[in-house]
Order: sequence, then C-alpha cells, then structure tokens
Amino acid sequence: MLAILKISKALNNLRRRLNMKFWEIFRFEFAYQLRRPWPWLSLVVLVVFAFFSTRVAIVPVTLPQDFILNSPFIITSVSVFSCQIWLLLAPAVTGEAAARDAQTRMHPLTYTSPVSKAQYLGGRFLAAFVLHALILLGVQMGSLLAAYGPGANPEIIGPFRPTAYLAAYGYIGLSNALIATTFQFSAALFTGRPMASYFGSLVLFFLSYPVTLTLYMSGLHDRALLADPIGVMAIMNEMMSKWTIIEKNVRLFTLEDAMLWNRLLWLGIALVTLGFIYLCFQFAHRTTTAWWAWLTRRFAAKRPSPTDIGASRMTIPIPHAPQSFGFTTNLRQTIAVARSSFHLIATSPGGLFLLIAFPMLLTFVVLVEMQHWGIPLLPRTPHLLTKHLTGVLTSPTNYWVMVPLFIIYYAGELVWQERDAGLSENVDTTPVPEWVLFLGKLIGLGLILAAFMTIIVGVGLTVQVIRGYYQFEILRYGQVLLGLKLTDYLLFATLAMTVQAVVNQKYVGQMVALVVYLLMVFSSFLGIEHHLLVYASGPEWSVTDMRGFGQSVGPWLWFRLYWAAWAVLLSISARLLWVRGRESGSGKRLQLARLRFTRTTAGLAVLTGVLILLLGGFIFYNTNVLNEYVTDNELVKRRADYERQYGKYEGIPQPVRVATKVTIEIYPDRKAATMRGTYRLVNRHIVPINAVHLEPAFYVETRMTFDRPARVVVADDKLGHYIYALDKPLQPGDSLTLRFDVQLEPRGFRNSGLRSNGAGQGILENGTYFTGGALPVIGYQPLRELWSAEDRRTYGLPRQVTLPAPGDIDPGVMAGAAATFEATVGTDAGQVAVAPGELRRTWSKAGRRYFHYASDVPINGQDVFFSADYAVHREYWKHSSANAGQGVDIQIYLHPGHTEHRERLLRSVRASLDYYSAQFGPYPYRFLQIVEQPGNFMGMGVDGSGVITAGESFFQLDPQGDGFDAIFEIVAHEMGHQWWGMQLKGAFAEGGGVISESLAWYSAMQLVKNEKGREALRRFMSFMREPNPWPPMRTGLPLLRAMDPWANYRKGPYAMHALSEYVGEDRVNQALRTLIVKKASTLATTIDLYRELQAVTPDSLKPLLHDLFEVNASWTFDTKQATAKQTAAGHWQVTFEVDAHKIVADSAGAETEVPVNQWVEIGVFAAAKPGEVLGKPLYVQKHFIRSGKQTVTVTLPHKPARGGIDPYNLLDWEEGDNIEEIKFE
Amino acid sequence: MENAGQMRLDITNLSKTYPNGVQALKNVTLTIPKGMYGLLGPNGAGKSTLMRILATLQEPDEGQVHLGGLDVIKQKDEVRKTLGYLPQEFGVYPKVSAESLLDYFAILKGIATRGARKEIVEALLRQTNLWDVRKQKLGGYSGGMRQRFGVAVALLGDPKLMIVDEPTAGLDPAERVRFLNLLSELGENSVVILSTHIVEDVSELCTRMAIINKGEILHEAEPLKAMEALKGRIWRRIIEKHALPQLERDQKIISTKLLGGRTVVHVYSEEAPAGFDPVQPDLEDVYFSAMAGYVGNSQNQQSAEQPAKEA
Repeated sequence: MLAILKISKALNNLRRRLNMKFWEIFRFEFAYQLRRPWPWLSLVVLVVFAFFSTRVAIVPVTLPQDFILNSPFIITSVSVFSCQIWLLLAPAVTGEAAARDAQTRMHPLTYTSPVSKAQYLGGRFLAAFVLHALILLGVQMGSLLAAYGPGANPEIIGPFRPTAYLAAYGYIGLSNALIATTFQFSAALFTGRPMASYFGSLVLFFLSYPVTLTLYMSGLHDRALLADPIGVMAIMNEMMSKWTIIEKNVRLFTLEDAMLWNRLLWLGIALVTLGFIYLCFQFAHRTTTAWWAWLTRRFAAKRPSPTDIGASRMTIPIPHAPQSFGFTTNLRQTIAVARSSFHLIATSPGGLFLLIAFPMLLTFVVLVEMQHWGIPLLPRTPHLLTKHLTGVLTSPTNYWVMVPLFIIYYAGELVWQERDAGLSENVDTTPVPEWVLFLGKLIGLGLILAAFMTIIVGVGLTVQVIRGYYQFEILRYGQVLLGLKLTDYLLFATLAMTVQAVVNQKYVGQMVALVVYLLMVFSSFLGIEHHLLVYASGPEWSVTDMRGFGQSVGPWLWFRLYWAAWAVLLSISARLLWVRGRESGSGKRLQLARLRFTRTTAGLAVLTGVLILLLGGFIFYNTNVLNEYVTDNELVKRRADYERQYGKYEGIPQPVRVATKVTIEIYPDRKAATMRGTYRLVNRHIVPINAVHLEPAFYVETRMTFDRPARVVVADDKLGHYIYALDKPLQPGDSLTLRFDVQLEPRGFRNSGLRSNGAGQGILENGTYFTGGALPVIGYQPLRELWSAEDRRTYGLPRQVTLPAPGDIDPGVMAGAAATFEATVGTDAGQVAVAPGELRRTWSKAGRRYFHYASDVPINGQDVFFSADYAVHREYWKHSSANAGQGVDIQIYLHPGHTEHRERLLRSVRASLDYYSAQFGPYPYRFLQIVEQPGNFMGMGVDGSGVITAGESFFQLDPQGDGFDAIFEIVAHEMGHQWWGMQLKGAFAEGGGVISESLAWYSAMQLVKNEKGREALRRFMSFMREPNPWPPMRTGLPLLRAMDPWANYRKGPYAMHALSEYVGEDRVNQALRTLIVKKASTLATTIDLYRELQAVTPDSLKPLLHDLFEVNASWTFDTKQATAKQTAAGHWQVTFEVDAHKIVADSAGAETEVPVNQWVEIGVFAAAKPGEVLGKPLYVQKHFIRSGKQTVTVTLPHKPARGGIDPYNLLDWEEGDNIEEIKFE
Repeated sequence: MENAGQMRLDITNLSKTYPNGVQALKNVTLTIPKGMYGLLGPNGAGKSTLMRILATLQEPDEGQVHLGGLDVIKQKDEVRKTLGYLPQEFGVYPKVSAESLLDYFAILKGIATRGARKEIVEALLRQTNLWDVRKQKLGGYSGGMRQRFGVAVALLGDPKLMIVDEPTAGLDPAERVRFLNLLSELGENSVVILSTHIVEDVSELCTRMAIINKGEILHEAEPLKAMEALKGRIWRRIIEKHALPQLERDQKIISTKLLGGRTVVHVYSEEAPAGFDPVQPDLEDVYFSAMAGYVGNSQNQQSAEQPAKEA
C-alpha cells in the first residue's frame, strides 16, 4: 500500500516536472514571439483586411440587394478569405517556433538538454498554435470594428449575434489554425529553416485553389469540397450558391454536410501529421536525411567527400593577373552576379517549384479546363494567353498571385544572399560598384522570370499539341509572355529589390514589399485610381484572333515606359542606400549615399526625372486633357446628380422613335467614323408635347437639329441631358424628324486604355464594333440611375425597390416601341460592314465598300454595327407554310479562322425557325444575323430583333460528331429569344427572367426533343444539371417571382418541360402563342404567362401547375429495386420498389414535407445501344404515387433492361437514382 | 598604384563608438609601413573594428586613414581595387564548387580576361592546396579548407593592402605555417596587417606590431626591440597555488601559468624581487606587460588606473 502511494507520488512529481518543462518551453516561446514584430504585424494586417472586406464587401459576394454588415454570411465569408491572407502572411510564426534553434545553430544546446521530445515539440507547437489562434482573433476584431466602429452605417447593421462570430472563429479560424500550423511546423522542422513554413502554407494554398478548382471543374464536386484544406470552396460553394438572400442575412453558419466532412478529414490529417512528425523527429545532429541525400545524389556527380590534404608543400609563385576596372569589366561582373543569382534561385525548392512543378500543374489544369459544358474547346492561342497563361499583376484573382509573392520572397533572398551565406565581407571588399551588385541580382531574378515565361510558352504549346491543335503562334506567345508580362514582373522585381535594399532587414523588407503590393492591388479602394499614381499599373493589353492587340499595346507601352523610368530612379536610390559592410545606421548610410552620389549618378537621376516628367506629362495630356478623367466616385456622383436633376422628367410624354435612317462611314485605319441620319419621332400620347428631351452619347461629337423650329433650353454636357423646346407643340399623332450628325474620333488614350465599349474607340483596324449607344436617345433614362443600395444611401436618394413583384406591374405598360431601320454603312475595301437588317445591296465606290441594310418590320433592341474581315455566309429560309410571304435572309459573319462549325450554327437556326414558327407563331423579321463579336468572351446573346452575336471564344466550342452539341442547343436558346424577349417582352419585375430565359431554354429543350429525340434531350438535361455555373437551389422565391439564375435558367425550363409532358406539348405551346399575340404591344409578367397556362391545364393537373409555379416544391423519387419475371403467357412482369417524397420550402429555407399523391411516370426500357443510357421505351405510363415506399407492377410483352420512376426527370430534377437495372428472378 | 616603395598606411586619430555606447576605438593613431604588421590584443579589444574600417566596411566617427595617396574613408572604390581581406568569420555558398566561386571572386576583383583568370585561379588553388578538391562543393569543406579558400580569395588581384583578421584560429599547425609563409611573402611588396590574439603569430613573422586593448593602442613597437627593452625586468618563480593570493599583493604579476601542477608566475619589476629568477623576456611577456600597463605608450595613465581597479 505504502509502496503504491510512493510510486504514485513519484509519478505525480515526475508528471509535474515534465509539465513544468512543457509549460516553460511554451511560455518562453510564446513570450519570445510576442516581442517579435511579425505576430503583431500579421494581427494588424488581418484586422485591417477584415475591416475593409466587411465594410467595402470586397469579398466577391453577389448579393443583388441590401446586405447586413454583420450577417452571419458576411462574417463567415470574411473569415474564410482572411484565412487565405493569413495563410500567406503568418507562417513565419510557426517557422520560428519549429526551426529557430536549427536556424540559429543553437540546436546542439537545446537538443542535448534534458527535455523530452514531447515537451519540446509540444511546447513549441502549442505556442505557435496559440499565437495563430490569437492572430486570427484579429479577423473577428476587424469584423466587429467594421460593424460597430466609427463610420459604420447603422441602417445596414443587424442584431448582434455573438454566436455568428464564435462559429466563424471556431469552425473556420481555429480549425484552419490547427491544420495550417501543422503543415507549416512540419515543413520548418524537417528542413531546419523557418522560411520552409511558407512552403507548408503554399501546399495548402495550392490544394485550396488550383487543385480544388480543377476537381470542381472536372465534375468531382464532392471530392473538390473535401480536398480544400482551408474550406473556401466548401463554405463559399455551400453558402454562396445555395443560400437565399434572406438566409444569407439570418442563417447561422454551422458545420454540416460537406463542410463537416471537410473539417473532420483535415483535422484528422493534421493529427496524423503531428503524430508522424513526433515519431520521425530526432534530437540529433542535423545532417541531410537519407531521402534528401538520395534525391540530391541524382543531380550531383559521385565523388568521394573532400579529404583534407596535408599542407606542407612550399609556396609556389602566383602569376600576376591583370585587373581592369572599366565599364566592360563592370558588365562582366554584372553578368557573373546575375548568373550566381539565377543559380541560387533555380536550385532552390521555390525555384524548382516555379520552373518545373508549377508548369506541370498548370498544363494539367489548362487541359482540364479546355472544355465547356462537356464540349472540348479549341485551344486557340489568344484564349490560352488571356485566360490561362497570364494573370494581371495588380489584380490577383487566381494562382498567378504566386508570381509577385515569389518575387517578393526571392528579392529578399538575393539581396541577402551574401550576408546569409556569411560571404558579405569578402564580396563587399572587392572592387565592385554597388550598381553591379544590384543590377546583377535584378537581372538574375529577371532571368528566372524570363525562363519561367519561356516555360509557360511551352505549357501553351504542350496543351495545343496534346489537343491536336497545330496552329502555333510562337510570335504571339513571345509578344505576350516575354514582352508584356515579363515587363510587368520586371518592374515589380525592381520595386521589391529596392525595398529590400532600402529597408535592409530581410523579413521586414519582405513584409514591406508585401504591404506595398497590397497597396498596389487595393489602391482603388483607397481612392487612388489614376494609373500614374500606382506603381507598375496601367491599362491592360488584350489580344484576340480578330483584333490582334487592337491598339491596346500603345497606351500599355506609354504607362510602362513611364514606370520603367521610375524603376530606374528606384534603382538609383537602391544603389545609393545599398548596404556594404557593417554600417546599417541611417545616418552613416546617408553619409555613404552622399559619397556615392557622383556627378554621373546625379546626371542619370536628373535625366530619369526629366523622362518621368515628360512621359507622365504626355500620359496626363492623354488621360486628363484629351479625355475627361472621371473617377469611379465621380461617376457615381454624376449618376446621382443626373437622377436628382432630371429624374422629374421620368415618364413624361415624349415622342417615340418609329424609324431610324443612318449613313455610317467607318474608317478603320483612322479609327474614326461618322454617323449621319434621322429619327422619325411620333407623339403617341393624348397630350401635345412641348419639349423634347434628348441624350446624346458621351465621348462623341453630336449635332442635333429638328425639322421644325426649336430652341435649346437645357444643354448639360456633363450629365448628358438636353431639352429642346418646340416652338409649336407636337400634337398627338403628329410626327417630327430629328437629324443627327455624330463624329467618332480617336482621342488619345484614357486611364483605362482605349475605350472599348460604347462609342468612340470601338473602331479598330480589324474588328470594329460599336452600338446604337453612340446615337442620341429620347427622354430620361431610368437605367442610368444608381442601383446599388449603398450608393443610393450615400447620395441621399430614396430607396429603390430592387424588383417589383409581378402583380405590381400595370398590365397596360407599353413596351418600348420598335422602329423600322435602315443603314448604309461604308468601310474599307477589305472589310465587311454589318448593321441590323436584311442586306439589300452592296457596292464599291472610291476604294470603299458600302452595305445597305434595312428592316421594314419594326425591330427592337440595341442596334449593333461591325466592320471586319468577315467570312460571310448567306442563305434564305422560307416558311414551310404556304401563306408566308418573303423568306428570311440568314447572314452569318465569322472570323475567317473560326468557321469550323458554321454548319452546326445553320442547322440550329433552320430547325429553330421551322419549329418555333410552327409552335409559337411566325418569325416576324426578314433577316437573321449571327455575328462574331470581337473579344474573348464565351457568351452568345441576342442584341436585338434578328441579331445574335457571340464572342470569339464561343467559336472555340468544338463538338465532335453526333454527340452532345452545345452549339446547337445554345443557338436554339438564342433563337428562342427572338420570340421570348424580342416579341414577348417581359416587364422589369420579379419573374422577368422566366418570361425570357426560362421560355427560351424550354423552347430549346422542345426543339432538341423534336429534332434529335429523347436521348439527346436527356443528354442536354444532364448538362443543364451540372452545378456549374448554377447549382440547384431548393429554396428561394417560387417561379412566379423568381430572381435567381437557377430558377430562371434551370427550374423554369424544367417546370415548363414537365408541364408540356403532363398537359401536352401542343396545349402548352398554344398557350405561349396566345400570350405573344395578347401581349404584342405591352409588357408581360409571369402572371400573364400563368393565366394562359391555367387556361390550357385541365383541373386534374392544376395542383401540379400550382406546385411548379406558385410554391417551391421539389420531388425526390428513388427506385430502390426493380425485378422482373416472365409470366406463363410469355409476358414480363416488372415490379418496382419506389420511394417518393415531396418537399415545399419557403424563402427562408424552412422545408415541409407534403404528401406526393399525384401521377408520376413509370418507364421500362429495352437494352440500350452503345452511347445511350436508355434504350427503346417499352412502357411509359403515369401511375398514381403516394409518399414513401411502395410497389408498382407493370406487365409488358418485351424483355426489359432498365426502368424506374420518373425516367425523364420531369419532376425529380436531380439525376441518379430514378432508373435501375432490372434484375430477373 | 603609386610607387610601391612609398606604400604606407597612415591611421590618424581614429575613433569609433557603437550605438550601444561601446567605444571600440579611441583616438587610434598608427603608421604601418610595408611588410608584416601584427595587431595583438585580447578578444573585444577593437581589433576587428579597426580591421573593418581599414577594409572599407565600416565608417569611423572621427579620424583619417590614408593608404599611400588614397583616402580610405572616402575613396573606398579605389582602395578596394588593391585590397585583400580575410574576415575573422565568413561562410561560403555550400552548393558551389571552390573553383567556380573563386572564379566568381576573380571577376569581382576585376580580373576580366578569361585566360588570366583561369591561370590565377589555378595558381591560388594549388597554392592553398585546394587544387585536388576544386570541383567539390564548398558545403563539404572542413573548417581549415574553408579558411584556405578565404585566403585564396583574399590573395586574388595582387593586393597592396592585405588585411587578415585572426586568420590562424581555425588552422592546424601545418596549415598555419604554410599560411604565414604565404603572408610574409606577400609582405615583401605590400602592407599586410595581421590581427591576432596569438602571440606566436606575431613573434614569428611581424617586423612591427601594436598591442591594442579596449580600443586603445597600448604599445607600438618592433617585436625584437620590445623584447630587448624588457630585458631584466621580467622575473619568474614557481609556487604552490595557495601562495598566489599573497604574491599578488606583493608583486606586479603579469602572468601565471600551470606547469606540472605548480604555478609559474611572471612578474614585472625594475629590480630583482627576492626569490625570483630572471628570465629572457619573450613577446608574451611584452604583451602581458603592456596589458598590465607596465610598458607602452600610455604606461603612466594605465598604471595610475591599475590600483584603483584592483581595490
């Protein structure tokens, strides 16, 4: 008994002693780091970042209306994004804790002290973890400050929810702290270098960015959500896309579903890693580990280790070596330093990662991403260059942010290379000028970057070769990567090196450079927008197949020259303050700088200064004198002024435009154009009109005259509003003619480069594109008003209802009047000019080509004009029904290199015209144009009646054979808009998207079904079901009031499709046809649509109609088992065990299960042919289904293969478990 | 460079105080002619500060340094063209071979032509006995090999001013001999300043020397003459350890040493103290006498301070 007591006492003592050591180690480390600047700096950065990202909501949240600053959603997303910043910012803390002993070579002392591994590692790790936990508190502090600190707007502060902060901190902050600290700690501990902790961070960063994104893009959503160690994807995906607006403001974030598994997985990995490092770590002399030696042995030639040879031989004469100290020698020295610097980086882990691992990863990512909707994309060079192989330095939106971080890191390494190696005194006493050392290192870094860019060229070419695309544009690659991108990186490298040279503290220097970089990135949030004030910034370049660089390089170059001059000035200051030897005090450094400030240096500095002034002056002349310089804030203010000053004219009687006639001369080489023409304006109101309000376009010269006496009452160029008082009022029904003359002249460049939209600078050598926006418009334009709730508050404007409910719309509101259109467009002889209308005539005159387009049928929408070297295809389509008069002039304008799939376009156009005309009413226009719009964007859209345009990237879609053909489907959708949007015009109200988008997609689905069959429709729907870009939302507003894209683009068409299958395609389409006729001249809402649908729906199906449109109902059907046996008569009796549920959700996300009790299809199919999922349908009939599990039995004469409930996903919109393989008994 | 015959380093009133208040150099004035010059002093005496100022790596607060016609403080670039410097401590790039790093330094030293560079790199590597291991990475070198590599770097470019800061510390006896030989050879045409706390280094090689402590020059002399001057003033006695405190009170002890378990005591005395034997003074006696303040430039001042300190 006594013995046991003794033992336990001894054990307790031992434990206490052990714990004491553990706590002592922890306490020392914690206190030590608290006295270091890094944790505090990190804390401050996080507070500031969280503050601003909450206030300014720079987190990419797409909230369409008011948001609450302290909503759980904002708190959570700010926490997630701050974690990413923290990940890159704070690893030094862990690194210090893990590897300071090894770094400072104190480890022989600590390792031999009587401390156990558990105490040592545990104490150090805990200290790092606690420090990180405290640093991450800064995020919540910043969040709280933003909501409750000075300057917060009380209107957008919701109730204080402490649990929201706690949840964000605990679930995201703390879990990430543990995960990241583990990775950072392991990396630093095993390399013995604190900076290696950054590698640990980078691994996590890469997993959470490209890897997760890649997995996500390639359809492995669940894996992607699991693979993300920081939880950005899991959280943001979950909340951003699945939560409704109301949920975003009130719902608390908790760990559930994907996020729960994600946290469990990564915490598990972290714990396993901790166990692993505990087992592997040895208190031992640090030598290269076996595996590292094995690795490096492959690179190093095998030699015996150096043996020291006795030193007894007599001295031998040393030959005299001539020294020279001229400029040539200095150049040689520069090259030598550059080579040494290059070598340092290229052989370091970071360099190897950048030059080898990253390009391989990138190749993989690009290959995965070279598809859209499952359709391969042609890997055209401009697309690769702009989308995948470059990133804008000052707006880091993806993994390219790595390059500036790399530069910051290695600028420190290079400037400190000699000092870190202990060689600085040997080097500093050599007769090398400071500029040689600085320039040599800079060139070394530059060479690394150049090598990197060259390798990226290789990545592009590799992707093209793998994809079997052999139109290599090596020159283009070189221009962009080794010209444009490298310049930006070199400018930044000069800055980072200068910061290092001036700050003269490696880590502080890296921190300062990082802060400077963040300032560059977020300058516009600080109110600094002019590129003359933000280092290395300037307008961006662009490159497309049609336009080439399209003059974007000119402004780019001027700004870069200006910044290059600054870079020279920076280099001079770096040289003057370059620390050589032991003197690091500022007084002594300035004293030395004065000594170094020789006449040559002074001359160079003055020359550079003059250059800066000249270049800056020239740029300023362009951006602020030739062009008006307007900041974003000023623009917002003007819009507010516009509304305040002229808002009173909204809705006053104004004449409407009924005919446009315009003569356009485009001069691509001069980048100029003139537009002369007339509007015929009619008073459609019942009162006379005394004054006409006109708004000419900005940035063009416009002259306007009336065909009757009128005088200018208001001529506000700044806000763009003119009022002409008519001497004699325009009587109801009367018309007048407005004559305009618009000049589009090139006027230098602006802060944002050349104006590429609207009027003015859309005129390029090839690929001119501008819109009717260059022409004057009639009346006050409510669309120019501010819409952001925050901006409206700032300027004291009344709150605007984001979108009125459909019931609030006056059913008699007139649709914007359509007008007849006639344009004569002249352009260079080598180009084709395009304007809306059927092409009546082309001719040549005086070395120019002229095109006459006209539409006698009034047309809607935006007028668009193009001029480029187009490959033109024309054909006529005739109505199949005899009563139709003239045909439709189908015109396809494509870039000559982009015509691979023209036939697919045409097939869809023809089929759409046939089917839609038959179903929804005749196509009313005489022309149909598909024009390739210059610019690298994927989208295809409808600009106006008869005009469909698509970006250059659209023509990269490369469907193969008879498989899923996205081109056919998308064109069918846009063709649908010629009915839904161009003929039937939706009111600006909730549900407006259903009127246009849902009906257009529904039309495309019907077309695919009728044209290509059910199997094609099934494939089409399975692509529609992809969660990217719009993951399904069960909550939100019902279809009648739909606002979110998933409802408009997915749920709407599904519902219409289900209805057509239940009620009958003919009846549903007849309802739509009626709707067009009824609403020919007024705006439609979902209520109008619903009324027509109700009219054709039999009473038995009214509940279904209600479920689809009036509430958020969702069905879940599951075929648990399918068995079949042959009856005596030789028939097959198939028995399905099915499970059915129906849920109704309200807009706040509350779900209620309701009884199913309705008719649902049961389908049985024959064996499928290769490439198909379902074979020939043997039996498709509706059965009455109730909630829960039940058995359905059908008998059929043929042998079945597969079957189940709701086989065509009419009601259960999630694919997967509806159909099962049939088992035979 | 100017006439090598006139090569001389003049240090006038050099003072340096560090920001933490440590006065590293106090009004140091020295004239150093061509040949080997030893700078002797204990650790922390200010040797390295003086050496770094001479090597253009540090700025004095006051004072002048001239090398021939060059102002070392202001014309750093010119001085560096003819400077060889072996710091007390230095590192290497571990992943680079000796040959390529030496070649790199040769370029930095202005040896621009490839042929000349190749020749001198080979000669120096042979000279420092690193030729056989020239292709190996410096990371695998032993301390002595690294030190020899540093010597090779310092010797590049035929320096007229050679500054070596405690060079023999890491060398084994054979290497040390070889290195000192090299230096003395160089001393035939150049100013070679050797700082050390090892008395033998100076006694074997240097024609002139200075003893420095706490930033001040205590004694500047030619080693032989200094030893000569002490003749008859150094006495020795072998005692038991316990007798030492008593002896310390009675005599001006300059050094004690253990020999076979007993203590050998050297004292400084103008006259023969009782029970002591006369000894032939060596440089070590000079050094300790200077450190104790019995000989040298500031003899009086030092001896005045001495009792106060001991009290």
